[in-house]
This record gives sequence, structure tokens and C-alpha cells, in this order.
Amino acid sequence: MAGRSLRAHLLRMLLPPIAGALALGALVSYFPTIEPATHAYDQALVDIGLAVGLHVRVMQTEYRFELPAAVEQVLRTDRFDKIYYRVVSPAGLEIAGDPGLPAPPGDAVAHDTIYDGAKVRVVSVQSPCGRSTCTVLVGETMVKRERLARELLLQSIFPELFIAIATLLIVWFGVKRGLRPLARLSEEIKSRSAGDLRPIDAAGAPEETRPLVGALNGLLTEVSAASRKQQRFLADAAHQLRTPLAGLRAHAELALAQPLPEASRAQVEQVHQATVRTARLANQLLALARAEPGARSTTALVDLKSLAEDEADAWVHQALERDADLGFELAPAPVDGDAFLLREALANLVHNALEYSPRGARITLRTGRREGSAFLEVEDDGPGIPAAEHSRVLERFYRVPGTPGTGSGLGLAIVREIAASHGATLAINEGMGGRGCRVAITFPHG
Amino acid sequence: MRLLIVEDDAPLASGLQRILEAEGHAVDVTARGEEAVLAASQEKFDLVILDIGLPQMDGFEVLRRLRAGPGGGGPMPVLVLTARDAVDDRVRGLDLGADDYMVKPFAMPELTARVRALLRRSQAHGGPRIAHGPLQLDTVARRAFLRSEPLELAAREWAVLEVLLARVEKIVSKEAIIQAVAGWGDDLSPNAIEVYVSRLRSKLEPAGIKIRTVRGFGYMLEEFK
Repeated sequence: MAGRSLRAHLLRMLLPPIAGALALGALVSYFPTIEPATHAYDQALVDIGLAVGLHVRVMQTEYRFELPAAVEQVLRTDRFDKIYYRVVSPAGLEIAGDPGLPAPPGDAVAHDTIYDGAKVRVVSVQSPCGRSTCTVLVGETMVKRERLARELLLQSIFPELFIAIATLLIVWFGVKRGLRPLARLSEEIKSRSAGDLRPIDAAGAPEETRPLVGALNGLLTEVSAASRKQQRFLADAAHQLRTPLAGLRAHAELALAQPLPEASRAQVEQVHQATVRTARLANQLLALARAEPGARSTTALVDLKSLAEDEADAWVHQALERDADLGFELAPAPVDGDAFLLREALANLVHNALEYSPRGARITLRTGRREGSAFLEVEDDGPGIPAAEHSRVLERFYRVPGTPGTGSGLGLAIVREIAASHGATLAINEGMGGRGCRVAITFPHG
Repeated sequence: MRLLIVEDDAPLASGLQRILEAEGHAVDVTARGEEAVLAASQEKFDLVILDIGLPQMDGFEVLRRLRAGPGGGGPMPVLVLTARDAVDDRVRGLDLGADDYMVKPFAMPELTARVRALLRRSQAHGGPRIAHGPLQLDTVARRAFLRSEPLELAAREWAVLEVLLARVEKIVSKEAIIQAVAGWGDDLSPNAIEVYVSRLRSKLEPAGIKIRTVRGFGYMLEEFK
């Protein structure tokens, strides 16, 4: 579900008052201008009325109206409107003109009415006739007036409309602009790796977002403290396990060095193997804890080549125990990373190759740069991993069915986590000539 | 040889003691750093095995005091044991004067091999003779003997053999060998090293001394059995 858009919300809130202000503004500027304009048109009608009134003659008790056709034509001529007139005697009798043109009610001098099926403005003019006063009504259709009203309305509304549209545009873009720091903030958070729990820099954030940034930073601090606490606990637990395991292993090896009855020897051997496995598991759990997002320990420039060289001696001895031929093709491969984790990744790959290859296997450890990217790779000529299992072997505690040995199934999962925590990619392929297995970690461009 | 074990975990300490006694050493054990410093100041040990994670005075402090004592503890090698593996600890231990470093838990043969290597190195420091099975080198007279018979070695063969003998059971890279041998001035190619090693092999293998090739890396002089 999409959240409430701040922009739409602002517009919804702003639109009614803006429309109201627009209407009010239009009214306020419309009436003061329409009044004098209407008045001027009325005055023109009054002038016609006065001119018409001059043509009323009084003969004793009879009123005569004589208007030459040419004059009448002039009076009645208008570019837009039809002009009506009607002359009424003081007694209220029709004298001349358009019969039935309605007089303004009461004392009013002008009114709007309907005549001949159209809206008409009628003014009433008192015109002297004899000793008395006749009434001349002059009417005019409203074409001109309506056009004027429209024009006035438009003229007054146009600037207001402009201001309203400008306001809405400013809101539309202003909100976007105003929210830009927030967008930047969310970009910054989005671009972070899962393990990056450093506080967000509030310096560039606008005042209004400070509480949000503050709350987020508070949460981040708490999460990273909790994560550190968990890391420390796991690390301590793993470390604490090592000393008693060393004692156990010492005594098991001591016992095995002595002449023992066959049955006892087998049992002590079991104890010894279990001890070695437990120690390895403790190491793996420690590595897993450290590779976990949020555990990001100090990174430094690490050359995978020297890392491999440092550990080569131990691995060669492990290989000799298994009659394996462990070889090296080491070229400089500098990466930005955690030396402990990278060593653990390499150790796990070498261990896997040794563990799952038959005696006499040929295993090669490579480091170097390929197409600008540092890589490390372990290749063996053992049974390999079936393609269908490639993704599953990366799961924790998964072991390929039917696999000999006593591994925990954590090795490759750890390697994957370590690769991920370095932004590196892990690829499992067949070895050369379609035999064995080649596991490569390729690091991002330095 | 007289060895001192400083380890507060009793089962591990007793296990180490028995294994090293089985190797023919006289072994003293203490669980406390203060006692270790005191003992080392009063008696002479040929090697100290020192745990870092001791209660109260920790192994780093013990190491510092041993090295700060009269004669800097002499040539007495110190093998540090730790349950931690942070790179910093390793560097710190070596900076304080530890001679080797092992992370718990370790295999006993690995421990005894390192103890042997440390003792051999510190003994060789004092004497001009290096022995490896039936092979004997008199580094002062620059003469070699195999089964008590004089053995002819060219100067560079001698140099390569000396490098390998200093690190028995440890793999040595070709680069390290070249660096050690390159005192003669001219450039040495990895191929040249191969030639010297193959000549050494043909001279030493009949006596059961084996130089193993580590593919793409270098060589290892195997422990004589």
C-alpha cells in the first residue's frame, strides 16, 4: 500500500483556501468596477430617454408623440443591443413606443427585466410634458453589459488565477525540493551494506528531519551495541572453548602415543577425532559470528598472496597427512578486507578440498588478479560437487548426500558469508578437464 | 633440556608436561605469571611455554618482564600459547619477544616439532655444529659430514642446505632461498635453485634425508626418521 503522499496532502489542504481566495478576490475587484460601468450604460439610456421625451407634445388634454423615422433610427441604433422605448403619460397611459416595456417598480429608476423574450435593462426618465411630467422608459438588451461583465470578471480573475497556479506549482516542486534532503537521507541508508551501523550524518539534514535522524541514530546505536555484545559473547564462548579442547586433545594424543588394547585405542581415537572436530566447529562459529553483518571488524589492505604464504606451512602439513599434493600459484592480490576472515575463508576452502578428495589428490591454491579483480581460488581433482548441489552446498549445515567424512556442513556457508561481507562473489565450477571442483572468490575492483 | 610451562588450565598443563617429559625434557609447571617470572629469574630454563590468558598477570606482562630481566632472558626461547587469534595479539606477542606462537587447540606433534625447532635454533646459536640425522655441519670450518664421511658441497649448495636446515619441517619459499643465497652478487633464478636442490638431493637421499618439493612454493627438509 502506498503511503500518504505529503505532496498530495499539501495540495488537498491548499486547494480549497486558494479557490476561496480566488473567488473572493474576483468578487472584491469585480463589483467596484462593474458598478461605474453599468452606471455609464444606464446614463446612455437616460440620454436616449431625455431625447425621446423632447418629442412629446401636449395638445389640450391629448399627448402627441412625433418622432421622425430618421431620428428614431438613430436612437434605436446600437452595435450590440436592441433598444426599446416607451412613453407613458402622467396618468399612466401609453403614448408611444414599444408597448408593455416594464417600468421599474416603485421609486427605482432602473431595473433588469425580461422583454420580448430577452433580458433587458430598463431605465425610467421623467420628461416634462406640458405642466405635468411624462415617463419615458428606455430599455436595452444585455449583450454589451454581459460582455463587459465577462471581460471585467476575466480581467480581475486572471492575475488571481496566475497567482493560484504559481502557488500550486511552487507547492508541487517546493515539496520535492524541500524533501530532497530526505531523499538523500534514504539514498544514504539504502546504499549502506547491511553491516554498516554507523550513525547517519545529520549535518546536511534540514532542521525538521533532525528528530527523525536522531531517532534513527539512536536505533542504530542500540542495534550495533546489541550486535557487538552478541559478537563478543560468541567470540568469548569460542575462545573459552579452546583451552579445555586443547587439554582434551593433549590427553587423547598422549593416550594414543601409548600401547593400548585395540578396543580402547579405537575409543580414544573417536574421542580425539571428536575433539578435533569440535575445535574446528568452534573456529567456524567464531568466523561465522565475525562475518555476520554488523560485525564488520577493522579492514585493512590485505595481500591474499602473503596471507596464503603465511598459512602455507600448516596446510602443506595437513596435506601431507592425507598424501595430497598441495601446490600454489600465488600472484599478488591486494584486497580491502578483514585478514582473520579472509584467512578463515582460505582455510575452509583448503580444508574442504583435503576433506572431500581421495588420498593422493592434487589440490592447487591460486591468488592473483583477473581482469582487474583480485581473486583467490582452490581447485581439486576430487569427486567434485554435482551442478544440482552448487547452491545447496552454500547453505549452513548442508552436506551433499553420501559424502564421506565428518564435516559440519558449515565450511562453504562461512566462505559465502565472508565473501558477501567483502562484497565479493563466490563461484563453484568444475575443475580443469571437467574433473573435481574449483571454488573461486572474486573481489570487487580495488 | 629444562622447560617451564606457564598454563592455568590444569588438564592442558599436565598433558603438555607428560608429552614433553616423554620427549626427554625436565618440565616444571606453574599456573601463575608471577611465579613464572620469579622462577625464571632464579633458575635457567632452555625454553618457556607461556599461555597468554593467565589470571592476574597475563602472558604479555610475563613476557615483558622475562625480556626486561637480567640478560633479557638470555637466548631462552618463548613459545606463546593463546586461545585468541586476533592478528593484533600475534603481532604484540612477537613484538614483545616471543619466538613462536600457537593457537589453541593444537596437535601435539605440531607442538613438539616447534619445541624441537626452537631448542635446535637456540642451541645452534651457541654452537658451530648443526646436526640432522646422519648429517653434520661444522659452520665454522665449513665442512659437512654424512655418516661421519666428509661430504663435498659447493658454496651455493651449502648455502641452500643451511637455509633448509634452519627450518626443518617448515616449508621455505624459493624467494626466501634466493634471498639467503644471493649474497654472491649475481642474479639467481628460481631454476638455479632447482638445480642446487636436485644436486643436494642426489647427495643426501641415499642417507635417508629427504627434501620435499612444495609445488609452486618451494621446499621442505623433512624431519629425519
